[in-house]
Amino acid sequence: MTSLLKKLRLTPLLNSIQQRLGLGLISLLLLVGLIFAQLGLWIFDQGLRRYFTGQLQTQSETLLAALVRGPNGIELDQQRLGSVYHRPFSGWYFVIDFNGQQWRSRSLWDHPLSLTKEPDSGVLYDGPQQQQLLIHRAQFRRFGKTIVIQVAQDYTPLLDNFRRIQYMGAGLGIAALVLLVLLQRWLVAHSLQPLESLRQQIAQLQQGARSTLETDVPSELKPLVEQLNRLSHHTEDRLKRSRNALGNLGHALKTPLAILFSLANRSELNSHPELRENFRQQLQHMQERISRELARARLAGEALPGAHFHCARELPDLIATLQLIHRRDLHIHWSAAAELRLPWDREDILELLGNLLDNACKWAQQQVQVSITQPVDSGYFEIRVEDDGPGIQAAEREQVLSRGTRMDEQVQGHGLGLGIVRDIVEHCGGSLGLQQSSLGGLAVVIHLPANSAA
Amino acid sequence: MRILIVEDNVSLADELTADLKRAGYAVDWLADGRDAAYQGATEPYDLVVLDLGLPGKSGLDVLREWRAARVQHPVLILTARDHWAERIEGLKAGADDYLTKPFHPEELQLRIQALLRRAHGQVNQAQLSAAGLQLDEAQQQVIKNGESFQLTAAEFSLLRYLMLNAGKIISKTQLHDHLYDGESERDSNVIEVHINHLRAKLGKAAIETRRGQGYRLVEPNA
Repeated sequence: MTSLLKKLRLTPLLNSIQQRLGLGLISLLLLVGLIFAQLGLWIFDQGLRRYFTGQLQTQSETLLAALVRGPNGIELDQQRLGSVYHRPFSGWYFVIDFNGQQWRSRSLWDHPLSLTKEPDSGVLYDGPQQQQLLIHRAQFRRFGKTIVIQVAQDYTPLLDNFRRIQYMGAGLGIAALVLLVLLQRWLVAHSLQPLESLRQQIAQLQQGARSTLETDVPSELKPLVEQLNRLSHHTEDRLKRSRNALGNLGHALKTPLAILFSLANRSELNSHPELRENFRQQLQHMQERISRELARARLAGEALPGAHFHCARELPDLIATLQLIHRRDLHIHWSAAAELRLPWDREDILELLGNLLDNACKWAQQQVQVSITQPVDSGYFEIRVEDDGPGIQAAEREQVLSRGTRMDEQVQGHGLGLGIVRDIVEHCGGSLGLQQSSLGGLAVVIHLPANSAA
Repeated sequence: MRILIVEDNVSLADELTADLKRAGYAVDWLADGRDAAYQGATEPYDLVVLDLGLPGKSGLDVLREWRAARVQHPVLILTARDHWAERIEGLKAGADDYLTKPFHPEELQLRIQALLRRAHGQVNQAQLSAAGLQLDEAQQQVIKNGESFQLTAAEFSLLRYLMLNAGKIISKTQLHDHLYDGESERDSNVIEVHINHLRAKLGKAAIETRRGQGYRLVEPNA
């Protein structure tokens, strides 16, 4: 049970529903329980008092019968009285007024017990030794005179009993309440289990550990799960289609550009070097603009919930590609935890790393290093790409970073080509910094927030 | 060196063909993926320049088909798809290099030269050199003992082939297959004439004739 409670405390969704249900149940049970218990006791108490008052009436009639005509006039026949009237403070008392004469029970000792008027039924009066008395007052006519008989009974033992019942009832009630609450928690946790598993699946979805939610859920959740799945498929599909369309557009634009580049190279232009240079510059400009904008448009950003980049799976392929393209004696090392996944679209991250590493390979002499880590409790992923090339002077780093904030200020291909990298980092809500690498060259350090995609 | 260009854009293909022919390559051109899959696997090409967006069959499928059939000629993918995910896919399919459009024609030439050198075991060299000769592919000159000789287009492509295959015996058929495109007439006398011209420039001993077998480029002091 404790582990269950601990688990419940760890899950915010459940906790809130649990708490709401629990609080409602407890207050309702408490209210209803108290009202019913109190009402029941009160009805019982009143019934008992009525019953005892009836008994007292019988007693008063017995006392009336005990009044007999003796040698000295009317006397109270002590033999006919119960022994309880003789024992002091026994709880049974009477006072008989007859023709100016008064008989009091011995049990009453010196306590006065005389009511001038009819006692309210069911009301308790103070008696001797803190006793609470039920009093019955009866008037009879006998021997031609009015006889007033007051009979009283101590109600304290019953009150004590009632109190004991109240305590016991409270104890039992609390125990029942605790039991009910625990039972309710268990029931709620049990019936919310599908929600909890859904919550875990959504967490996995965000970490990229799964691509769809399981549809084997209770009917209440089915529409939700199916809608989520449909939404995620739809997003994925749309991304794929738009990337395809962008690919076609790129193809349609870049092939003519390639032809123009080739035409600018024609020997007919040899005699017009200025014209050729102009052509080339404009073409170069167009190419950069098209590449950058198409690359930007391709970014998935945080649109896909199931997207992820599996470092250990993707990095070796990327590095093999770079090694093939650069074909130099480059040593490209990578390091990342075996199961590390970045919760962003695979192609976005590949584009980010590809551009960074491509740059590093261009400048490096022999060594390029890439490491992807998630420092403990840092809340971000760190990507470090380092080379042993010439690097950038500390004073110039700021300038390099600020360049490319506007497209037309940027010199791509000749500079660092950080444009698309910056776009991706911004898209992921991360930050980019340049440092001195321990290898001797430049270290590009990127922090991507771990929870932004969540 | 015989190169196959697979490219569905006619204008670009024309430009590429003209450029590569100027650089002394024999060039065949195909536009359809299915034709390329067949012809690339049957003709002895030294290198293929492959576009990815082809009618009939996608360039990647063509490439996979070649590699599955153990067709080993170097393949340079020339495409507008410039994303790293696509580059990785291309190289995984068996490409040897990946160049994105638009490109500088010089860049393509350099990549082709590098690929050819690599395919013939000459790795990481700025210039093709063999048998005491250095070939300046841009100027189409050969340098021997610090002295440079201008070459004609035919001499240049013949010498390049011999230098890439230095030390091996090359038959006339082989020379025909690799120096002329599919539409050229086969005339063994032409090759003999060019061999003689090369001998006149480089010295008689530079190219050895093996009767009934072919020619061999030899080290001067070997």
